Amino acid sequence: MFSLLNIIGLSFGLAGFMFIATYVFDELSYDRFHTQADRIVRLNAHIHMGESKLDMARTSDMMGPILRDEYTEVEDFTRLYVSSGAKLIKNGDRWIKEAHLAHADSSFFRLFSYQTLHGNLHHALTEPNTVVLTRSAAERYFNSTDIVGRTLETNDAENTVYKITAVIEDMPGNSHFNYDFLFAMDNASYENWGALLSHNFTTYILLKNATDQSLLETHLEEYVHKHCLPAAKQFMDVASMEEFRTQGNLFYYDITPIKDIHLRSNLMGELQPNGSLQYVYIFSAISLFILLIACVNFVNLSTARSASRAKDVGVHKLLGSSRSGVAGQFLTESFLLSFGGIILAIVIVVLTLPLFNELSGKAFEINDLINVRSLPLIGLLTLFVGLVAGYYPAAFLSAFNPLQVIKSRSVVTSGKSFFRSSLVVFQFAISITLIVGTFIITTQLQYIQHKKIGYERENILLVSDYHVLGNQTKAFRDDILNLPGVKIGTVSGYLPVSSSSRNDNPYSKETVMSAHNSVSMQTWYVDEQYLPTFDLELTVGRNFSAARLADSTSVILNETAVKHFDFGSEKDAIGKKIHFQLGDNMKSYEVIGVVKDFNFESLRDPVTPLGFFLGNHPVEAAFKIETADLPALLAHIENSWNKFAPAYAFSYRFMDEAFDSMYRAERRMSRLSLTFAALATGIACLGLFGLAAFMAEQRRKEIGVRKVLGSSVVGIVIMLCRDFVKLVLIALLIAVPIAWWGMSEWLEDFTYRIEISWWIFALTGIISIVIALLTVSTQAVRAARANPIDSLRNE
Amino acid sequence: MIKLEHIFKWYNIGGTRSFVLKDINLEIEQGDFISIMGPSGSGKSTLLNVIGLLDEPNEGHYYFMGEDVLALKSKKRTALFQSHMGYVFQSYHLIDELTVYENIETPLIYKNLSGKERKAIVGDMLDRFGIVGKKDLFPAQLSGGQQQIVGIARALAASPKLLLADEPTGNLNSKQGEEIMALFKQLNEEGMTIIQVTHSEKNAEYGKRIINLLDGQVK
Repeated sequence: MFSLLNIIGLSFGLAGFMFIATYVFDELSYDRFHTQADRIVRLNAHIHMGESKLDMARTSDMMGPILRDEYTEVEDFTRLYVSSGAKLIKNGDRWIKEAHLAHADSSFFRLFSYQTLHGNLHHALTEPNTVVLTRSAAERYFNSTDIVGRTLETNDAENTVYKITAVIEDMPGNSHFNYDFLFAMDNASYENWGALLSHNFTTYILLKNATDQSLLETHLEEYVHKHCLPAAKQFMDVASMEEFRTQGNLFYYDITPIKDIHLRSNLMGELQPNGSLQYVYIFSAISLFILLIACVNFVNLSTARSASRAKDVGVHKLLGSSRSGVAGQFLTESFLLSFGGIILAIVIVVLTLPLFNELSGKAFEINDLINVRSLPLIGLLTLFVGLVAGYYPAAFLSAFNPLQVIKSRSVVTSGKSFFRSSLVVFQFAISITLIVGTFIITTQLQYIQHKKIGYERENILLVSDYHVLGNQTKAFRDDILNLPGVKIGTVSGYLPVSSSSRNDNPYSKETVMSAHNSVSMQTWYVDEQYLPTFDLELTVGRNFSAARLADSTSVILNETAVKHFDFGSEKDAIGKKIHFQLGDNMKSYEVIGVVKDFNFESLRDPVTPLGFFLGNHPVEAAFKIETADLPALLAHIENSWNKFAPAYAFSYRFMDEAFDSMYRAERRMSRLSLTFAALATGIACLGLFGLAAFMAEQRRKEIGVRKVLGSSVVGIVIMLCRDFVKLVLIALLIAVPIAWWGMSEWLEDFTYRIEISWWIFALTGIISIVIALLTVSTQAVRAARANPIDSLRNE
Repeated sequence: MIKLEHIFKWYNIGGTRSFVLKDINLEIEQGDFISIMGPSGSGKSTLLNVIGLLDEPNEGHYYFMGEDVLALKSKKRTALFQSHMGYVFQSYHLIDELTVYENIETPLIYKNLSGKERKAIVGDMLDRFGIVGKKDLFPAQLSGGQQQIVGIARALAASPKLLLADEPTGNLNSKQGEEIMALFKQLNEEGMTIIQVTHSEKNAEYGKRIINLLDGQVK
């Protein structure tokens, strides 16, 4: 039974370790597949003016070409333009919405390494109206990859038809961008070509030498002086960079090597949500801990078993076996067991891989985990575990004095059980830390889910791709509003979830904007139904009215904006003007209302200034619905959609889903930590179970004696369990400060967060004690109920 | 004090009954000192365990101080055992992790005596058996004879009426054995009823009466 517990515990631990190690290696491998990865860097812009701090992974369209022309360390550059977001692409007679696409320079394939299936990547994107597809996109549209020369129709200006010039293998998953379609840069629907201060392109630089990074960074400073400052002087009252800086502002560029983007960069305008080094550290720690727990079990159970093996060892040594012979025997056994554990671990990995993929959000295949590269590592791991786990019993048992062992009845004295006890304490401390972590993450998620965020998000249906309705947006909206169950609706792409449109602009309350008086504020174009649809509360003033023409120059601010403009009280703000400089024109808006602050970004971030402007932004529509038969209502809406836009697929989402998706990473973290807390606790319990069985066996005689002396069964059970409870309590004492510290760090990321309260620790303590008791008590009860005569029979 | 009537104890081995005790009839008076003798496997220990309520016969009646023991519920039987019987083992069976003092104290804890009472009784025992100086030692630090004296002190701590001893000198050298036997004799003279199982003729002679067992029957 001990061997079985040993192998099971070890294999689950190893399987957990293999999973997390694969996850961690995958996170670390991002963008390393490009053969020139060492020499490619991305440019970032940092513009801090007054309250507004912009840190963007974007540059102007000019920056790449200028750097290449002026600085010799820059060998080449390429740009991506994604601001237009999704396109509709015609497949047969249906339009399909494709989101994984970008406009790229023809130099894209000179910097980045992709495998060509068809066509020539060297001049794939040099002409306008050309496109490169990946294998899966090609197969989706043409059922073939041999499609060079064929065409794709899109909803770009005048339904541009693109010629397919190449097909590449799908982009690897471990890349900080992942596109199915790359369109020629010439077709980018961009208006400010040549504007040095408009940051809308992702620019990558290929350096001549990987060591040129610091040289480039000094040249970036020069670039700001030489090109950006003259451009800024045209519309801002800034004489020199020095003056700009002494006013407390910053304007500089820096670089991120592409291998660092996934884990070390978290700027505005990242091409997709990046990973986090913090999580990589956490998961590495968890995986090592799980491996440790499994090894500790192995050591613990082996030494526990050693007591019963001691006599064998004594006899072997009396018969002439050397110490190294005995040690060798134990090590061999340990290696065999760890080999068995590895085999079983691989079986577990194969069986539970889909589960892990779901948990982690990755798409690993078996050969990602078990391949030529990992097999030697797995082999080494087997040896390592075998050695670590076998070393202690081997060294400990082989040193027995044979005569003493054979004569005495018990060799395992309290000194040795101290070693095992500390191992149990160690295991439980880890389990408790993980359980506390799981609790806190779950509680924080609950908190986010139920926090009053200041707007209505239940029962709100969002209809996407609203712009394809063209001039029928109003007609469609009215059609939907006539359906029973639909109460009110608004058309706007600016929604209070981070996955929707954003538009940040500087405003000032004086007519001349300078670095001190500018307030960087979200500019949201909405209709007059927006506030009532989302139940946004006006503290003072009024909503927009369709009847008042003047409302096109009105603005409704949130409370934070009022504070940033320094208007005094909310009442005082009403009637005040704010100004916005657009080229040579200045636009002025009158404040007509103030809404209570609401969280329109993730709760990680504080509320920032926001202004609502009356305008047309037909990207999405939000309808407040109340119906018992949702499928029927959806069918009605879809029917209506098909009437207005027959060529376009009806696509919708719900506000609360969109809200939840902002916390996908946290939810994943919560599920993963729950899983691995359970795994760690399970393995620790296996160890505890084995140890309890061993202790009960070890104390059989004592239990018999105590029963003869008059102890009841309950008394014996309590006596046996008390020791283990003590160990768990010590583990709790060790784990509490560690968990407290770790989780406080994690919660720091949230502007809105829970307090870590004592009941989480109390509850965890109770849970772990109950788990320990359940594990131990079966053994304890069995031992306590045994007839003392059997254990006391004379030897 | 003790009356055994037609006690049978058997095991079923391959469908046939193998008798350990066969129709035992025995009466033991208060203040008696009985030595049970017989070769290995004759049922001596089983008889002692039946008397000591650690084992149950398959058939027969057992009256202890007028009470029909086998008809009692197990809880009452435990209580009866706790208040009237003390057990001494061949291999002492002291608890290794406890000191001499704590070993003697253990049965008193199970009798739910207060700390003060326990202190008085243990002190009395240590005094009586001349082991005051060893009270803080652990069993492993004592000789076999000393360990057995502690074992006897522990058995007597709960002030039983009957002392049961299963080969109390079996693990001791002859000098230590004699000391233990002298102690038993003295205890008996003070009024303690003693039943001992022994191999040794010489030790058996210390008793007032010898019962010889052969194949589960009294000879």
